[in-house]
Amino acid sequence: MTPTPGQSTRPERPRLRARTVGIAAALMAFSVFAAREVGFDPSTFWEVWSNPLWEKFWPIPWDWVFDSGNVLQPFVETFQIATISTILGCGLALPVSFAMSSLTTPNRPTYLVSRAVMNVVRAVPDLFWAKLMVTAIGIGAFAGAWALTIFSLAVMVKLFSETVDGADPGPLEAARAAGGRHAPSLRTGILPTVFPDYVAHALYVFELNVRASVVLGLVGAGGIGRVLEAQRQFFRFDRVLGMLVIIFVVVWVIEQVSVSLRKRLI
Amino acid sequence: MVWSISGLDVTLDRLLGAPSDAWAILRQMIPPAFARVAARGAVGKVFESVYIAWIGTVIGALLSLPLAFMAAHNVAPIWIRVPIRQLFNAIRAVPELILAVILIPITGLGPWAGTLAIGIHSIGTLGKWATESIESIDSGPIEAVESTGGRWVSSMRWAVFPQVMSTISSYWLFRFEINVRASAVLGMIGAGGVGSELVSHLVFRDFPAASAVLALTVGVVLTIDTVSAAVRRRIITGGVGGDDSSRSAEALSDLTGINHR
Amino acid sequence: MSSARRPAPSESPKQADEGEPYPDPDTPVIRLEDVSVTYPGGVEALRGIDLTIGDGEFVVIVGLSGAGKSTLLRVLNGLVPATSGSVVVDGTEVVGASAATLRQVRSRIGMIFQTFNLVNRTSVLNNVLMGRLSVVPAWRSTLGLWPAEDREAAMAALERVGIVDKAYVRASNLSGGQQQRVGIARALAQEPGLMLADEPVAALDPVTSRQVMGDLQKINRELGITTLVNLHFLDLAKEYGRRLIGLRDGEMIFDGDIADVDDDTFRDIYGRSITDEDLLAMGDSPTDGSEGG
Repeated sequence: MTPTPGQSTRPERPRLRARTVGIAAALMAFSVFAAREVGFDPSTFWEVWSNPLWEKFWPIPWDWVFDSGNVLQPFVETFQIATISTILGCGLALPVSFAMSSLTTPNRPTYLVSRAVMNVVRAVPDLFWAKLMVTAIGIGAFAGAWALTIFSLAVMVKLFSETVDGADPGPLEAARAAGGRHAPSLRTGILPTVFPDYVAHALYVFELNVRASVVLGLVGAGGIGRVLEAQRQFFRFDRVLGMLVIIFVVVWVIEQVSVSLRKRLI
Repeated sequence: MVWSISGLDVTLDRLLGAPSDAWAILRQMIPPAFARVAARGAVGKVFESVYIAWIGTVIGALLSLPLAFMAAHNVAPIWIRVPIRQLFNAIRAVPELILAVILIPITGLGPWAGTLAIGIHSIGTLGKWATESIESIDSGPIEAVESTGGRWVSSMRWAVFPQVMSTISSYWLFRFEINVRASAVLGMIGAGGVGSELVSHLVFRDFPAASAVLALTVGVVLTIDTVSAAVRRRIITGGVGGDDSSRSAEALSDLTGINHR
Repeated sequence: MSSARRPAPSESPKQADEGEPYPDPDTPVIRLEDVSVTYPGGVEALRGIDLTIGDGEFVVIVGLSGAGKSTLLRVLNGLVPATSGSVVVDGTEVVGASAATLRQVRSRIGMIFQTFNLVNRTSVLNNVLMGRLSVVPAWRSTLGLWPAEDREAAMAALERVGIVDKAYVRASNLSGGQQQRVGIARALAQEPGLMLADEPVAALDPVTSRQVMGDLQKINRELGITTLVNLHFLDLAKEYGRRLIGLRDGEMIFDGDIADVDDDTFRDIYGRSITDEDLLAMGDSPTDGSEGG
């Protein structure tokens, strides 16, 4: 240890790398440009509060909201959509996830194809599927169910394939070593290990589907969202707000239930 | 399950008819009509979606960061953090589409409504992720700052901030990826972006054009996903990883979703 | 928070050669009177401690884990509040002090930790500059606009511990011994009158441990900074200590000159015979890296 201070050994202060500065500057420039393109208008933040349109949101017509035909029925429909798409989507996701994981895939071409296809599927925005379904099948809950099925498939595959990738390969190796064929060895070798996670993920997907089917209605695919959109187009914002409140509460309840169920699984 | 099916008015012929209808449409979608669609300015609309997602993410990131500090239990007292955490939950519960629905009467139709909707919703998600990040840090450096006589602000700036910023900024990028999809969707209700193009083509049953728009959207989304994944990986590992060949291999696997084991 | 420069510690560093008597301090820097600490769970970490430490002393504190060593150090700068009693550091009462007063007191006390407590993702220099937080205005330190004289102080501290060449290196890229030196530099940058070291070498190999202890000793002798060190290893304690304090179950069992300490004393403090784990040279010391840095 040198007690005498020596200026000669002090390192030079590193300059900011030109590349870092360049990237930062480019990002800022891009942001400014994008902001203009988008019509960035900070006065909106202030305007939002003082807009007289808010009056149209109030008071909430609770009698209309609680009238079973207006809200309860569509909600039931929403639940049905969510249930069926969760079951179908997660059901399909099981073999697809297995195909997608190098641990459990039957052969290389299956692996490659399934991964590539799923990647593209996930790149399509969820509501695009909804609109496509609506166009193909026609307005209504049926289309919504198909759209959400694809959505559930995509989400479930993403979650579940990660689980499968991280699973303990031991039992599977044992099953194969004992001469088991592909599907049965999967069933005994890996399914028990990943099943709790599978159910937990499925619950989560159900939760997402309930939320999503609310939104689906906005593009005509049925459920509570359809009523929402209809009221919006009639400018009955007070009813819209009332529905939103109910939706919020229901979603929150489902989330709590789902979280506690999932905790017990894991 | 039976109850669900009955409720959805599923008759056998509808069930059987659906796939063939879909198939007919699918056949009409090929080949996609790129030239026609480009002439209508669809490419510009796709970029508009990207801008919306970008600014929305920026707004969400900037506003969520200070709030996240105030919501972390190892940083803020309980009377601040409980309300803020509830705020995050409330915002997250409202899908962007609904936010846009509420905003359009106020801001008018157009990209700004979509941007605000995405921005506000992102505050909720990014806030929650950032808070979790902050709560999981090593508290040693905080103790060190306290021991030198520094104030709370300095402790945040020097002990907490450096530990969490790389994780948080990778969350920002991840959210941007999701937001690009969201902004495409928002276009469908008139909040700017490519969604409106898709809708109009579908309504007029111009399927080749619709598939062209779809293909464009998917292409942009995949590109952004790939670039973002590479950048995020670099941020987390904190340095340049490997040489050019391994980096392009990584990029390829991000793009196609195929891992080489 | 004052931005004025504090006066430097006593101008004449106490030169202690081999033969000279230990500088017997008249000015008590630390005075504890009947200090007790009970943690919220009910654990009594300290019971009725009476202690006076003078200016420029080098004190080693030993005891089993849980005997209260860490608590004793932290009670001095208020990181752990004392449940009862009085703690006076450099003329200021710490128990029940306001937040501003605590910050004032802490700015004059430098602390080193067993786990170094460095910010891994930032440079060594930035870590050392954290020692100047109490004297630099908050807005300047938050933006990273450190005044020149504070940078100078940080660099000087790094020079004193001999790793100034690593000033701009990311902290996580250093070895354990080097990181602890950065911790020492951070404390030195505060220009403190008191240095607290909480098991500074517990995570280091024997060679590096001796280097760090040697650094602490030199700082104490050349700059006259009062130094308290918690140690786990008894041979290190005997080698480097001047005055020894032994804690057992929160009580002070021994307080005296190191020369008066023998194996029986240690047995009293530890409540058992000395094992290999209590000695640095023999025991299972964790190796963090072969070079001492």
